[in-house]
Order: sequence, then structure tokens, then C-alpha cells
Amino acid sequence: MPEDDRKDATRDAVAREIEAAVNEQVSGLPPEQAEALREKIRLRVREEIERDLRARTTAERREAARLAREARKKEKHAEEGETFLRFNRNFRFQHMVMFSSVILLIITGMPLKFPNFILSRFVINFWGGIQYSTIVHRIGAGMLIYFMVHHFLYTILTRDGRRDFILLLPKPGDAKDIAHNIRHFLGKVPDKPRFGRFSYIEKFDYWAVYWGCVIMIGSGLFLWFETDVLRFFPKYALDVAHEMHSDEAMLATLAIVIWHFYNVHFNPDRFPGTLLWWHGQMSEHEMKEEHPLELEEILARRAKESAEVTNR
Amino acid sequence: MRKFALTAVLVFLGGAFLPGLARDASASISLEKCTLCHGKPEFRKLLVDGQIRDLFVTGDTLAGSVHAKKVCADCHFDVSEIPHRERPKRVTCTHCHFKGNREGAPQSDNVLAYFDSIHGTAIARGNTKAPLCQDCHGSHRILKAKDPGSNVARGNVAETCGKCHMEIYAKFKGSIHGVALAKGIEEVPSCTGCHGEHRIYAHSDPKSTVYSTHVSEQCSKCHSSVKIMGKFGIETEQVATYKESFHGVANQFGSRTVANCSSCHGVHDIRPQDDPLSMVNPKNVPKTCGKCHPGANPNFAVGKIHVDAKNKESGIIYWTATFFKWLTIGTMLALIAHIFLDMYGRTRRLRGER
Repeated sequence: MPEDDRKDATRDAVAREIEAAVNEQVSGLPPEQAEALREKIRLRVREEIERDLRARTTAERREAARLAREARKKEKHAEEGETFLRFNRNFRFQHMVMFSSVILLIITGMPLKFPNFILSRFVINFWGGIQYSTIVHRIGAGMLIYFMVHHFLYTILTRDGRRDFILLLPKPGDAKDIAHNIRHFLGKVPDKPRFGRFSYIEKFDYWAVYWGCVIMIGSGLFLWFETDVLRFFPKYALDVAHEMHSDEAMLATLAIVIWHFYNVHFNPDRFPGTLLWWHGQMSEHEMKEEHPLELEEILARRAKESAEVTNR
Repeated sequence: MRKFALTAVLVFLGGAFLPGLARDASASISLEKCTLCHGKPEFRKLLVDGQIRDLFVTGDTLAGSVHAKKVCADCHFDVSEIPHRERPKRVTCTHCHFKGNREGAPQSDNVLAYFDSIHGTAIARGNTKAPLCQDCHGSHRILKAKDPGSNVARGNVAETCGKCHMEIYAKFKGSIHGVALAKGIEEVPSCTGCHGEHRIYAHSDPKSTVYSTHVSEQCSKCHSSVKIMGKFGIETEQVATYKESFHGVANQFGSRTVANCSSCHGVHDIRPQDDPLSMVNPKNVPKTCGKCHPGANPNFAVGKIHVDAKNKESGIIYWTATFFKWLTIGTMLALIAHIFLDMYGRTRRLRGER
């Protein structure tokens, strides 16, 4: 390990320096006293070093680990370049909560829509029968509601959340991007459209989830607390909620299984799947391909910052 | 010598078979001997509990019944002397009625079905009140079930069951099925229509035709048939809409607590919706739904219960379903088109085309 060697070298240099200083101090003393003093100094120095080590914060350690990872990656895939943090930890956590809840909801909910499908009975019995699979469905619902609340607060309270929300709002440029991209698919235009932080595909995904969550949670709560709901609404309101819940579930499942899975799993660039959802990192190469405008922005900001530092 | 041997063989054979023949002859007591006493109209017995058992039997008793060709001792075969000292035992029908019998009785396994049923097992456990064959089919005047005079004919079977199940019979008589039965409508179910004939089980037994997960199936036998329901102007979509509803789906997955047809419509006291005693009369709906949904209120009755989202008459529900149908079709077509265009573009670039 080159890193360890480097560390050892510095440590050795420091040790030699200390040794020289100590020798200077104890030169005129009798041997026993000299040994005691030497021991005292050694202890003091070790304490100092340890304190210094402790002072390195968790954030610093993580940054060092990231740099090390990046360096390793650079050695392996030189063309990938620097890595950028695309999704922060909070955002990744939200996505994980959402997809695990959605998986739970789909596998416990879809059998109810297709009771005659051959796997439905198996899936329901896997949970121990309908009386338990409905509980699992409600656990999934609770997770999705938590996700919705968490994301709402994230959008309002954090800087990244506010920035992303504004960047995710649809713009007229998106329509141009769609037309451009289709022309590119058909071979009319040689280059892909240059996307910013969020392409129209990601914007669609985001707003589809928004719409889906609102419909599913709203109608789901109607069905969950049916007696309380019927205190204020007539029976047909519940039927509408049931119909919405069932139909939007179908739409969401199809969109996830066909569209989202193509974009993140079966797409030849990504197959068998990207780990972006896990580590949130994107390489420079990928950034150049998919979010060139964002990359330019980051590099410009960085150049400006370093210029400021040098000017100071 | 040879003649002697033949005679000896004949005598020997005769000696071997004659006792058997003679026993057969002596065992079958002729009808005349029985009617000697039983043929008197006043021949009856006062029982210890004050009841009078009529013991009057004539040669005509069996005439016209399925056993017209039988005589007394064919069934009462434990009577071997006259006058008999003890009361003859209950007749065992299984003597002839089993599959593979040679007495000319119908070849059917109904007796086995009976022994497996709730009545048969109750008998086996020693319940003396449980019915035997003759309790339903009658004793001497047994007719074919198709014969309208039979105890188990479609018009009479409810009354026959009602001999023991009195409360249920009273409820059933007032129900729409009971009323229709009294009118002589052919298609209407009597007790056996839902519970089965010999294979009757407790409603809590999964083998029962009226077990909670089988009820909808049992009702749908008639209620999903356009041919039958068309005659009475009753809708047939109720079964399909139930099966699509959450109640129906949970029921199909084996939930025993979820509502089936009879949870809401009643079991024996099923009445039409406009009947004030009906469980599904809008006035009674809160009470009916409240059995499972505590705190149910009149809003439960606002709107149809058996909703069909594909039917335009469902109003807002139909329009919701239609909206989502086209939203799904439109969105998915656009997304799939995008995917295929993407793949098409990739293929072109892979081939080196521009």
C-alpha cells in the first residue's frame, strides 16, 4: 500500500526529529535521570499524536475514503474521470424508503386486482393469508406516507431540496428537448440534447411519483378509514376512491416496471442496473453524457471559487 | 347300483339345501299374518308420555310407494314370531340401499353421503334426536323425490326439515324464497337447494355448500344465470360485482370474516330490498353494515352497493374508471414509444449509421 508507506515515512521523520531534540535535552544529565526524562517526553508525544488523530472528524474521514475510492476508480477506468455527488444521503434514503414501500404495496395489492391470476393466491398465502397481507399493505402504506412527509419537509427545509424542486419544475425548454431527442433517435440530429441537472425524463418520473402518491395515499386513506370517511361522504365517494386506487395502482406499476426499469436497468448504458441509488455518485464521463449543462455549471462555479481564493 | 347312487346324491343334495329353503320360507311372514292384528283400525298403543302410536297398517299401506312389492318382514326382518314380544327395531334401510345391491334398490351412494353428513355423524355419536332415513323420507309411504306427494319433494322438503328446524322454517317461510316456493315457482330453492340433499354439513364445516367461502358460489348457481333470473326480472350482475369488490376478493382468498352474500342479505330470511324487514332495505343498511363496520351510518346506503365501474349507469365511478383507462393507455403508449425510439436510435448508432 503506497499510502501506508507514505504515512510510515512521515512518522519515521517525526520520530527522528523528536529523538534528536530529546538527545539535546538529556545530554548533560546522569543516565537514570536521562532515561526517566526520555520516557516522560515519549509519553507526551504519543498523547499529542493521538489527540491529533481524534480531532479528524467523521466528515473528514469520509472525504478521505471517497478520495481513496475515486483514486482507485481512476486507476481502473481512467476515462471515467472525477466523480460528483449527484444525490445526497438524505435523497438516497428517501428513494430507498419509497421503493421498498412501493414493492410491498405492489406485491400485496396487485393480487387483489387480479384474484384469478395463478400467482395471486401464492403471493397472498406467502404472507399468511388475506388477513395478514392487508396488514403488510398498510405497513407499506405507512412507509409511503412517511416518505411523502419526509420529502415535503426536505423540499421546504433543506437547500438541496429547494434547489432540486425548482430545477424539477417543467419548463418550455423540456418540450424542445423532447422534440430534439426524438429527432436524435431517428437519426436526424447527430447529438443528444444537452440536459441540465434533470432531463425531461427525470422530471416526468418525479412528477409521476408526486401524482401517484397524492392519488394513492388519498384514496388509500379513504379505504383504510372507511367508516370514518362515510360519516362525511356518501358511499359512492368510497367507490370512486376504490376505482382510483385500483386504476392508478395499475398505471404506476406499469410505469415503474416498463419505463423506470428500462431507464435504470435494461437500458444498454445501465444494464444490469446502476448503483446511483446506493452511492449517489456519478462519474465525470457519465455527467458529460447525461447532464453536460450541470457539469459545466459545477466546473464554472469551481473555477470562480478558486479564482476568488487566489485573488484574496 | 347306478340308480341307487344317483338317488343317494339327490337325497344328499336335497338334505343339504332343503333346510336353507325351509328357513327362507319360514322367515318371510306373510302380509295376512301381520294384518291379523295391525289391520284393525283401532290398533294403537298408548305410550308412557301419553302419546298415541297408531299401529294401523293394511295391505294398501305400501301400495303406490316405491316399496309396493315388498312385504312387512322385508324391512322388519327382526320379527320372527307372531305375535312379536318386543317392539321391532328401527328399520335399517342400508340392508338394501347401498351401491351394488341385488334387491333392485337404486344403485346410489347416498347412504354413504348421509353417514358423512352432520346428521349421520350425529347419529354415530349417539344423538337420538338426529334424523335417520325414514325421518325425512317417511316410513311406509315412501315416494320418489320427483313425486310431488313425497316428503322430500321440492314443495314439501322445507316442511320436512322444519319438523326439527322449526325456527328456521318459520324464517324461511317469510323469505322471498319461501314465498316463491309457496307460489309453486319451479326454480326457487328450498332447503336442499342450498344445503344439499344427503351431503348436509354444518355451515362452519369447510365441506359445507354454505361454508362462508362457498356461499357466493352457491348463490351464483341461480343468481348469475340470465336464463333463470330473466324470468323474474332480477339482475345477474350482482355476483360478478361482488367478486370484483374487496369483499368478494378477500372471500376468494379464503377470508372467513369478510362479508359474503348472506352476511348482508340474510341467511334464511332473505327478503327483497323494498321489504321493510329486509336486511338490505336502506333503512336497515346501517345496522347490517354495522355488524362488521362499527359506527355505520345512513351514508352506507347512499349509492349502489353492487357497483359496476364498466357500466355507464354507475355515473361518477364509470367516469373515473374511463378517465384512468385513457390516462393509462395514453401514458403507457407514449412511454413505450419513447423506449422503442431510444432502442431504434441505439441500433442505428451501433451499426455506424448516423
